[in-house]
Amino acid sequence: MENYTKYKLKGNDELVSLLADKDKVFVIACNKCFKEFETIDEPDCGEFEKIAAEQGKTITGSAKVDFLCNKTQTEKKLQDMIPEGTEQIFVISCGLGIQTVADIAKVPVYAASNSLNYTGHHGMALTKKSCDACAQCYLNITGGVCPIVDCSKSLINGQCGGAKNGKCEVDPDKDCAWEKINKKLEKQGRTEEFLNQPVQVRDYSKVNFKVVNDYVKSIREERFAGYYGGVHPTENKEFSEHISLERFPEPKVAVISMSQHLGAPANPIVQVGDTVKVGQKIGEAAGFISAPVHSSVSGTVIAVEPRMHATRGSEVMAVVIESDGKNTLHESVKPNKGYEDLTPDEIIEIVREAGIVGMGGAGFPTSVKLKPNKPIEAILLNGCECEPYLTADHKVFMEFADDIIYGLKAMIKTVDAEKGIIVIEDNKPDAVALMEAKIADCDNIEVVTAKTKYPQGAEKMLIKRVMGRQVPRGGLPADVGVVVSNISTVKAISDAIQKGMPLIERVASVTGEKIKNPGNYIVKIGTSVKELIDYCGGVTDDDVLIKMGGPMMGFVLSDLNVPMMKGSNGIIAINTDQTQEVACIKCGRCVDVCPMELTPLYFAKLADEKDWVGMRDRNVLDCVECRCCDYICSSKIPIVSKIKAGKNAIREMK
Amino acid sequence: MLITQLKSKETIVSLVDGKKVFIINCQGCKEVHFPEKEAAEFQKELAEDGNVTGIITTDYICNPENMKLRLEKHMSAIEAADVVLVFSCGVGVQTIAEYLEDKKVCAACDTYPLPGFQGVTPLEYDCDQCGECYLNITGGICPITACSKSLVNGPCGGTKNGKCEVDGDMECGWERIYRRLAQLGRQDALKCPVQIRNFATDDEVKNL
Repeated sequence: MENYTKYKLKGNDELVSLLADKDKVFVIACNKCFKEFETIDEPDCGEFEKIAAEQGKTITGSAKVDFLCNKTQTEKKLQDMIPEGTEQIFVISCGLGIQTVADIAKVPVYAASNSLNYTGHHGMALTKKSCDACAQCYLNITGGVCPIVDCSKSLINGQCGGAKNGKCEVDPDKDCAWEKINKKLEKQGRTEEFLNQPVQVRDYSKVNFKVVNDYVKSIREERFAGYYGGVHPTENKEFSEHISLERFPEPKVAVISMSQHLGAPANPIVQVGDTVKVGQKIGEAAGFISAPVHSSVSGTVIAVEPRMHATRGSEVMAVVIESDGKNTLHESVKPNKGYEDLTPDEIIEIVREAGIVGMGGAGFPTSVKLKPNKPIEAILLNGCECEPYLTADHKVFMEFADDIIYGLKAMIKTVDAEKGIIVIEDNKPDAVALMEAKIADCDNIEVVTAKTKYPQGAEKMLIKRVMGRQVPRGGLPADVGVVVSNISTVKAISDAIQKGMPLIERVASVTGEKIKNPGNYIVKIGTSVKELIDYCGGVTDDDVLIKMGGPMMGFVLSDLNVPMMKGSNGIIAINTDQTQEVACIKCGRCVDVCPMELTPLYFAKLADEKDWVGMRDRNVLDCVECRCCDYICSSKIPIVSKIKAGKNAIREMK
Repeated sequence: MLITQLKSKETIVSLVDGKKVFIINCQGCKEVHFPEKEAAEFQKELAEDGNVTGIITTDYICNPENMKLRLEKHMSAIEAADVVLVFSCGVGVQTIAEYLEDKKVCAACDTYPLPGFQGVTPLEYDCDQCGECYLNITGGICPITACSKSLVNGPCGGTKNGKCEVDGDMECGWERIYRRLAQLGRQDALKCPVQIRNFATDDEVKNL
């Protein structure tokens, strides 16, 4: 593998004279980037310490840090690292690392190394190809061979004439770039085209530092907006965002899984042959962290048996009901008193009995969330829908704004919160405008517009973005006085109170470039995914990837005969992608995008080595599996699946 | 990491010249540089004539193995095109040009250097990889990149109100250096011998 080591220790003499009048030295070395990822120590640190020791200098300590130029993380690492009495810090790294430390440290910082010049080795993947970033790409007239980099003299109008036997006169080991260009153009029959080009004049003023600096500044602002890291995948919401919400036709058969939530699966309480009605409870919660399940249709139970589960990938107990198409309501479905007249405990009981769970995907029983046992300052309503493609929450805003506010008010009352905050990403300006109009007369509800960035909808990121608070390691939002809820969940709470209707249907998008007719539907829980896709005209061709949920955190469906569940916010059919895992090149981008500020590259490596303890020590359990690292990885390493394997192994260790 | 900007519409249109075109977008490092929206709009316009045989968007086309895997299923559309238009940095264009040897492969973007590309994050400061780090005598502020003139022995004297005479929006690098040294009580550093910059080429520096 190419090794783009960026620095080299300064010479012995220079270091000796540099150290002459100094003592009490702390040494920091960067673990280097763009090289083969090895866990061996870089030798430079030891070499420098040896020289310093020979000069009789006291070394107060030393540290090796990954990606020293990552200022956010370096700042945190340095906080407790430098011992009292340190008079200066020597840094072994490229100029960026040294400047980063010089910027942060309170004591003088010295460079113990020189940066090496690797002009032109850009690009994320390691490659011998070079680009000099001249800002006036000449590749179009040279058949794709760069005259700036490949020609020793960077000539742009033809060869100098000094080539001997095809070799450069400056460096006889190098092929003459212009001979290469000529051959290529000849081969493609483009010589004439080249000869007709006007003379090229290189404009050295094109690389305008002001433009570049402004650009970098704007990127930095975006990158650190609200919370560290994150990515912005192409939104792809245009397939379905303009399509209005429709009710999906009644399913003939509903397969209702007993496990649509986090925690113990519900126990079925109906038998084959039983007649059930809409809203009738068919599964009883099996513990505190569990939720009951209700029938979404009226009809006859035709099976109580394990059926394929979309997100677990195995068979899970389900109640299968053949619909009579009549939609007869069960007697238990009747409106409650208004939330104003209900006690918090009554509201919690209604929510529990209605089988309401987090509808953003995680499926945590909402009734448990409503008993935080801690003072709550704010309820955050998550309407970010930061996953690309999905537009279900967007539609819920547009169609059920009043229900959302009703449900939010009920939640505020239940946990005795000071206020409710509805968070919407700025790619849904119509939803923002509508909600702002609707809350005009509410003192304790506000709307926050957040700049679109993934994974904004993850509750820890959302809390940091809106409240500026950090949920402690292993803690819950309630620890920082917050309860987070998805907007569909709040709408379900409103239905449970106002109509007495348990959670039996939800809004879901069926979208993606491979769906013939995308749409947004109110779908009954238990409707088959296959039915949904068929209704939308099917997929355009067989080369397709179908997922339940969004492209980032959704589950790949290999079998479409699985039912929609309480947490199924969408079905997407998208282009397949062919990639191959190659070795990590230590580009550091996974560290750059990880919103939990972890080091994903180590997880991938440690998982391969089955070093579960090492993974645990690097806080792998904090990972929220948002897949930003997978998304950004230039080596296409399936980091998250390795992380999942590690997490499972760690849990088994306990 | 590099910044890319679209070439002018006229330039790109003249490259295509009304012929059949296949478009490849690379959004590998797009978090920091790719003009995604402008490119998409322009490609939509281009496709209106019906001359676009295919558009794909991938990442890291500079990673040749993955690039080949991803191009595989589009080869017939690529064959049908006269021109392959690549929206990426110069590295990506060259990777494609080498792989599609017989095709006219064109760059639709110009590539700008991004300060700090050798690190992970775009920073406020830059390293020019000069090969003889001056940060020790400047309190950790790089005179090569923080001074418009890359002076290594002190200010040019052209500063007005702390701003650079080359770029009125830029702070004088040497005033910053002086302030930092004063703050650290290290003004002595300025008494170092006169520095002479070595402009040796890459290989010479590496072989020092």
